[in-house]
Amino acid sequence: MALALLPARCLRRLSLLPPRLLPAPSRGLSGPRGGPPSALPLGRRVAVVAAVGGAAGGAWLYLRARKERERRERRRRELRALALGQGDFQLVDHRGRPRCKADFRGQWVLLYFGFTHCPDVCPDELEKLSRAVELLDRDAALPRVQPLFITVDPERDDVAAVGRYVRDFHPRLLGLTGSPEQVRAVSSAYRVYASAGPKDEDGDYIVDHTIIIYLLGPDGLFLDYYNRSKTADKIAESVRRHMESYEPLLD
Amino acid sequence: MSAPTMEERKACWAARDEFWRCLDTHTEDAPRCEKLRRSFESLCPQQWVKYFDKRRDFLKYKEKLETEGFHPAETDGKS
Repeated sequence: MALALLPARCLRRLSLLPPRLLPAPSRGLSGPRGGPPSALPLGRRVAVVAAVGGAAGGAWLYLRARKERERRERRRRELRALALGQGDFQLVDHRGRPRCKADFRGQWVLLYFGFTHCPDVCPDELEKLSRAVELLDRDAALPRVQPLFITVDPERDDVAAVGRYVRDFHPRLLGLTGSPEQVRAVSSAYRVYASAGPKDEDGDYIVDHTIIIYLLGPDGLFLDYYNRSKTADKIAESVRRHMESYEPLLD
Repeated sequence: MSAPTMEERKACWAARDEFWRCLDTHTEDAPRCEKLRRSFESLCPQQWVKYFDKRRDFLKYKEKLETEGFHPAETDGKS
C-alpha cells in the first residue's frame, strides 16, 4: 500500500532492491502457479463467489416471495370467511319478499339504518345516498349499486310503512324490516346502536341511532363507511375508487 | 300512526325554518313569533317539535361555543 503512494521516480530506485521485497507480481493472482490461498484463478474465484452469492440471494428472494404468498393467501381466507359470514341477516323487503345477505352477492351495496318517523337525519342521509347512487348511475361502465334501507324501528315500520317510505328516495332503494329480534341481530352485526326514546300520549317516539352509510362489495364484505360529514360526491368518488381497485375474493 | 309523507316532512321543515328565522331576527323573543310557533306545531308531529326545539338549543349552544369560545367560569354558577 505504502509503495503505491510513492512517486514514480522512487519506484525506479526501489527496483534495485532484491525482488523479494517488492510487491508480489500480479502473476501470483492470475497465474496457474500462485500458492494458497490464491489457489484458484481470479475468474474462477469470481464465478464461485457469484454462484454462492447468487444462490443465497435467490433462496432469500424465493423464501420472501413464498412468505408473502402465504400471507396473502391467509388474508384471503380470513376475508372470505368474513365475506360469507359477517353481517348476515334474515329480513323482509318492502314488497314482502324474504331477503338475506347472500341475495346481494355480486352486487355493490350502500346500506343505511334508520326509521320512517325520523325527523330530519334519515331523510337527509337517504337523499344523500340516493344522490350518490344517481351520480354513479351516470357512468354506464360502472356496475349498478343497490341502495338498502334497514329500519331500526320494527315495531312501527312494517312492510307497508317501509314500502311507503322508500318511494320518496332512489327508485332502486330497497327497504328491509323484520321481527324485533331479526332487526336487533342485523343492527348488532353492523355495530349499529339504536335506542327508542320515551313515548308520548300518542305513542309516538324518536329512535336515537348510529348514522353511518356502509359500503359492501360484491363478495358481501364490508369495504368502507361514510358518516354525516361525507357529501354525495365524496361517497360516489370513494365507491368508484373501491370499484376500480376491486379484486374478487370468492369464486 | 303512520310516518309523515315526503310532503308533510317538507311542510314541517319549512314551518320550522320560518319559526327559527323569526327567533333569529327577534333575538329569541318567542312571544313575537307566536303565530309561526303555532304553525310549526300544527305542521310537525309533537315528537318532532320537541326534537327540533332541543336541536335548536344545541345548535345555538354550538354556535356560541364557536364564536365566543368555552368559558366555564362565566356560566350562571348553578353547576
